[in-house]
Amino acid sequence: MDYLIFSFSLMLIYIGLAQLLHIQFGLAGIPNFGVVGFWGLGLYGTGVLYVTYSFPLLAAIAAASLISAAVAWVLAYLVLQRSGQSILAATLALAAIVATLVVTEKDITGGVQGIGTIGFPFSEMANRNVIYFGFLLAVVIGLIWVSARLRDSRLGRQLIAIRDNEELAASLGKDTAAAKRMTFVVTCALMGVLGGLSAPLHQFLVPYHLAPSLTFAVWIALVLGGKGHNLGAMIGVFATFGLFDILIETYAPVPQDYALMVPNFKLFCYGALLVLIIMYRPTGILGEDAPHERPKAAPTPVPDTPVKEG
Amino acid sequence: MKLEAANLTKSYHQHEVVNIEKVAFGAKGLEGLIGPNGAGKSTLMGLLTRRIAPTSGQIKLDTGQGARSLNPLKSHEVARIGLIKTNQRIQGFDSLTIRDSLRLAASDPKTEGFMSIFAGERDAEDIEERVSRLIEAFPFTDRNGYARSGGEKKLLDILRCLIAEPKLLLMDEPTAGLPDDITRTVMEMVREKVAGGEMRVVVVEHDLPLIWEYCDYVHFLSEGSILFEGAPEEVKANRVVAEKYMGV
Amino acid sequence: MLLVDAIFIGLLEASPLILAAMGFTLIFYLNGFMNIAYAETITFGAYFAILFNVVLGLHFYMAIVPSMLFSGVMSVIVYLGIFRPALNRGVGPTEMIILSVGVSFMLRYGLILIVGPENLFLNEPNVTYMQFMGLGATNLQLIALALVVLTAGTLYWMIYNTGLGEQMRGLANNHDLAMASGIDPHRTSMVIWFIAGCAGGLSGVFSGVFAQVTPYMGWNVILITMLVTIVAGIGSVRGAALAAIVAGILTAFITLVSKPLYSEVALLLAFIGVLTFRGARTA
Repeated sequence: MDYLIFSFSLMLIYIGLAQLLHIQFGLAGIPNFGVVGFWGLGLYGTGVLYVTYSFPLLAAIAAASLISAAVAWVLAYLVLQRSGQSILAATLALAAIVATLVVTEKDITGGVQGIGTIGFPFSEMANRNVIYFGFLLAVVIGLIWVSARLRDSRLGRQLIAIRDNEELAASLGKDTAAAKRMTFVVTCALMGVLGGLSAPLHQFLVPYHLAPSLTFAVWIALVLGGKGHNLGAMIGVFATFGLFDILIETYAPVPQDYALMVPNFKLFCYGALLVLIIMYRPTGILGEDAPHERPKAAPTPVPDTPVKEG
Repeated sequence: MKLEAANLTKSYHQHEVVNIEKVAFGAKGLEGLIGPNGAGKSTLMGLLTRRIAPTSGQIKLDTGQGARSLNPLKSHEVARIGLIKTNQRIQGFDSLTIRDSLRLAASDPKTEGFMSIFAGERDAEDIEERVSRLIEAFPFTDRNGYARSGGEKKLLDILRCLIAEPKLLLMDEPTAGLPDDITRTVMEMVREKVAGGEMRVVVVEHDLPLIWEYCDYVHFLSEGSILFEGAPEEVKANRVVAEKYMGV
Repeated sequence: MLLVDAIFIGLLEASPLILAAMGFTLIFYLNGFMNIAYAETITFGAYFAILFNVVLGLHFYMAIVPSMLFSGVMSVIVYLGIFRPALNRGVGPTEMIILSVGVSFMLRYGLILIVGPENLFLNEPNVTYMQFMGLGATNLQLIALALVVLTAGTLYWMIYNTGLGEQMRGLANNHDLAMASGIDPHRTSMVIWFIAGCAGGLSGVFSGVFAQVTPYMGWNVILITMLVTIVAGIGSVRGAALAAIVAGILTAFITLVSKPLYSEVALLLAFIGVLTFRGARTA
């Protein structure tokens, strides 16, 4: 039972990360391939501050998120106005740097041995893991709500415009670099918060937690569910993490001999799903979002009105 | 209102495309900029709005509150002090409806910050009203949907610039790709705004009858330099213009 | 002396990276997207070597060429099966990268499902350690370096001195125009993917024999390969080879003066820095 609650709590973290990635990539068009880096700064930052420097847990999470934000700000300043491929490579590199530093700085991070233990914040209560799950649920619901508000807000409209045609948006007086930077920094800081909140779930942190597979799992969930849809992230996590990590690992009658192969089979399926989705349904399961005023069916091309030669 | 460029040059691979000693726009209301293909008209427009970095030269804009150099400004800052340009090539936001696209252009960037996420209403009533009034004036196929044809996209591009209420509007070939009646409606609207003192306009065009009809003053650009300036009649009668452009 | 050591060690260690960077760059140039699944081309090269060298018992040097060719063929199959149809459907560059991540996962974990996750070792030929003017290296390292120089040189010659490079440039810049001027885009693309596959496979064989063969070996170098490619500028094969050499030497140098892991951090930071100040506006 405890394991199931742990799994569901972790699923909430994934949904939160995918939702933030939806804002970064789906709305603002920033391909962040370093999700695990910003999440990991929050996770390990919290662990280090809590264990090595004896911060109270909430203060540790807050401080760690600020670290994520600061790193995101520097990175945003350096590469956010470059091409998508450059942003992608730079964020991926950042995640690799974070993972490496956790191993090298073993005086404060515990190196490969890991660091711990980080307890739940309400340690005196009997059902603390259930209460913590409830707390995470509230956080993630809040995140989805804000994200939905964002899409229908003036800022969201500006981000979509920047994603579609940045130069045109700038020519209309929009400070596109600042809007992208602010969005990136805030969402990365929130990834850091989710990282900090993950620390009590894992209790004992090891460098393995910072493997790039987390980034890809979140990306796969987002692309699968629908990057442009507000609920795509959630559906995507259900279809990947929910299906494989919870349903199959908990309930499927896998013979002992093959149990070790299940994670590999899972990642193989993730890859296959990703290929199928991009080839046959690039907008994901839910498709593009349908904000108000948008017609249900895709606009059918109509013949051009007669035009004068230029 | 005065947009001034001095000693403005732009070279690509040692090939000089623009070389203007001195030119001033915005003094006369509705002005025209004409010249043969490859004269550097579009490059000049890009230079003035800071979308293209000049090789050398100074650009200054005086909106009545003192002259300001545009050289250190970025593209969005130029737009914010009131200088906006329509696009010759079709540009647009594919995911925004016609209405959203216009609302975006009409919104003050100051109101589009982080806190707008928590605002109750998305757009103020006056913005909604201005958007509706503008959309009603034109025969869009789907007023609540997306711009569909190339012509609609081109029109939307011009309308976006108009609703942003610039002090000086540069129009880069507004007739290209637009049906005649629409061009006429747009130009009447522009003339009205100019007459009302809301803005000044510079039109770049190949369609000379349109220039003669609407413009109060015309600049003639050839081989990257301003060769002649004057009232439409003077330009029409000028020998250099006739020789270099109208092929007479 | 430190510098000479660093250059020497760097060249030896970077030799597989140079090949990988060149191959990766070819595809990047031709099709305009970063193919993360190129990591698996490298990995599969090493596993093909295991097949020929360990399972079938060929001598290591005899196993090199067939492993290389098999990787090339695999590269073409993946191109024809997945990437070409996707490009024809008009999938954008960022989506192409995500697609290549999917392909990468399929290949990597499909491989693990078939051969298992254990680390494997190639049967090395007899290794002798040689010294020359204070610099030491094994004969294997020297042969690897020689082969890399040979392959890189051939590749370079093919691209800059035969029609292939011209055709590739034509295709990358203007697809329709290239077709109109008689270039067969289908054939040229297949040749490029085959060559890139061979380079990746060879890179994998050497990485494998220097250390061990693991399902993750390609992934471990793909990030550096990507950064090398971007920093070198779009599809400059010359630039990619040069950047890979510099990266190798830099790594060796930092490893000599500090902890080995810091070299990776320093290298990545250096790349982000170069990316910023060189203004690599690609795609």
